[in-house]
Amino acid sequence: MSVEAGSLLPPPPLRERRWIPAIALVALIVGVVSGGHALSGALAETHAGAIAVGDSVEIDPLPGWELAGRFEDPTGIRLTSGSASLDVATLPFGGADVDLLREYVDGVLAAQAEQLRLSQQVGPVRLDSGLTGSRIAYVGVFGDVQTPVEGEITAVVSPTGTGVVFDAWAPSGQLRMALDDLHAMIERAALA
Amino acid sequence: MSTPPEVVRMPRTGWGRHRSLFQWSQPAFWVYATVVVVTALYAFAQQQIIQELSPTGWALSWALLVVYGLPLFLAIYLLDLYEREPISLVLGALVWGAVATTALSAIANDGWGLVVARLGGPVFAAEWTAALTAPLVEETLKAVGVVLIYLIARDEMDDMLDGFVYGAMVGLGFAIVEDVFYFIAIFGGSAGGVLAGFYVRVVSSGFYGHVLYTGLAGMGIAYFVSRRGEASLARRTLVAAGLFAAAVVGHFLWNSPLLDFFPSSVDDIGDWLRIPLAAAIKGLPLLVFVLVLVRLARRRERMWLEAALRSEVDSPALTATELRVLLDPEAKRRSRRDMRERAGPAAERLLKRLQREQVNLAMVRTRSTTDDVPELVRQRQLCKSLRDALLAMPGAELATASARD
Repeated sequence: MSVEAGSLLPPPPLRERRWIPAIALVALIVGVVSGGHALSGALAETHAGAIAVGDSVEIDPLPGWELAGRFEDPTGIRLTSGSASLDVATLPFGGADVDLLREYVDGVLAAQAEQLRLSQQVGPVRLDSGLTGSRIAYVGVFGDVQTPVEGEITAVVSPTGTGVVFDAWAPSGQLRMALDDLHAMIERAALA
Repeated sequence: MSTPPEVVRMPRTGWGRHRSLFQWSQPAFWVYATVVVVTALYAFAQQQIIQELSPTGWALSWALLVVYGLPLFLAIYLLDLYEREPISLVLGALVWGAVATTALSAIANDGWGLVVARLGGPVFAAEWTAALTAPLVEETLKAVGVVLIYLIARDEMDDMLDGFVYGAMVGLGFAIVEDVFYFIAIFGGSAGGVLAGFYVRVVSSGFYGHVLYTGLAGMGIAYFVSRRGEASLARRTLVAAGLFAAAVVGHFLWNSPLLDFFPSSVDDIGDWLRIPLAAAIKGLPLLVFVLVLVRLARRRERMWLEAALRSEVDSPALTATELRVLLDPEAKRRSRRDMRERAGPAAERLLKRLQREQVNLAMVRTRSTTDDVPELVRQRQLCKSLRDALLAMPGAELATASARD
């Protein structure tokens, strides 16, 4: 009887039913827009504040930036925002920051690049700690990333002889949108 | 008209009804309006950033895209020969693509890009994020716009061609705003960069992008909602899902490194010429597929018009020759040209109105349950009076007589 009674119930009023697809679409929009952020948050490693790079460098990722991996020789980390990345490598270095920049370009960047173009000028950089460094921009095609890449290398050498290279890079065209974040993280980096 | 009308199978019972975007009593309208207003704030802020990066490049980008977008808008709008969609709904679809989808996609793509980077690493992400995130995210959000348009004015989406028109409009709005971003952010924003971007994204590949993807998805949505009672739920779901999947796959292929024959740098004329060829390899198959579907949809519309008007032939409203002319767009254009030469522009305008009212007669006919519905009788009388007025014009009689032979 209860089943029959249930089947005799009138359908909900048309006005009420019209809300159902509209609400379903809102839920779909919310799911698509926020689902990636929620999932990436769940997948991300939890970091309480700054991340150590070796023994003498610390970098604090801004919101939206995550540790993507660590590497050795030289010791380093890779931060990513999804579209842009920041590689931070540290090594003992006795020369000037310009020398470190040149060594990184010749020994690492040029060695990996199928095509590479560097900016004409090397610019000065000052970190919040007062340390100064040098910066150069590049565009290139690298073996492991088929799309053209834009990047910016910043080299700093501390008075204690710690050299740090910040290699900020992104697929061509996307670096510009991430530069404010990248510069802020580099300038706030702490070197022992 | 004492004999009962011929029974014609007409799936389009709502043919010819016109509703505007502004359906205040529809929840879907309020969802649409709220999302567009909120995302407009974000979209304007984005445009401001882009404009500050390169004021000249930004202005040039919009100027070039208006030149590209306006003819395409008209081509899509005029695609439906017999029942043009209400302009407010068409513009509503365009605005959804340009404002809501671009803003929502920017936020969503960032999030899903992080997921790809987290799972695959930055190197994999640099190569595959655009292919793995944008197709699903953007096609879903654009399709939501088509569904909202349907929910706002259900009567208006009564065939696949209508779905294509609304979907393509959403895609066109999206493509224009995305192109402005690309011209400034990817191609540098200088006048040369913007022109290079226009060549790559519009001249070389303007036929293959979002207009096609969302047009396809729109056709699927329209098939699902307009074939109730004609096809099973399973079949309608399969077709709608299949066309949506085709749009996503087409978009995926375009964004992915697969079949990528674009030059990595443009150094000489050969590289410039390679760009349209590379674009064609990625986009041409989908374009052909969509063109075939649109052609089939138009043929179906023509069959409906013929079925609806068959019982009206030799009534005071319509002759057999006039029906033949109505069914053939080229013959219709020729008849007007001929009328203009014989009887002048006023007669041409009157003939154009007569033909439009005869198409409207088909729509009234599909809505009429009996042969003597007052609206139907009035429409027949209107057609007859228009023809009488036309025949009374000097020179027009000869033209009409020759058309009847």
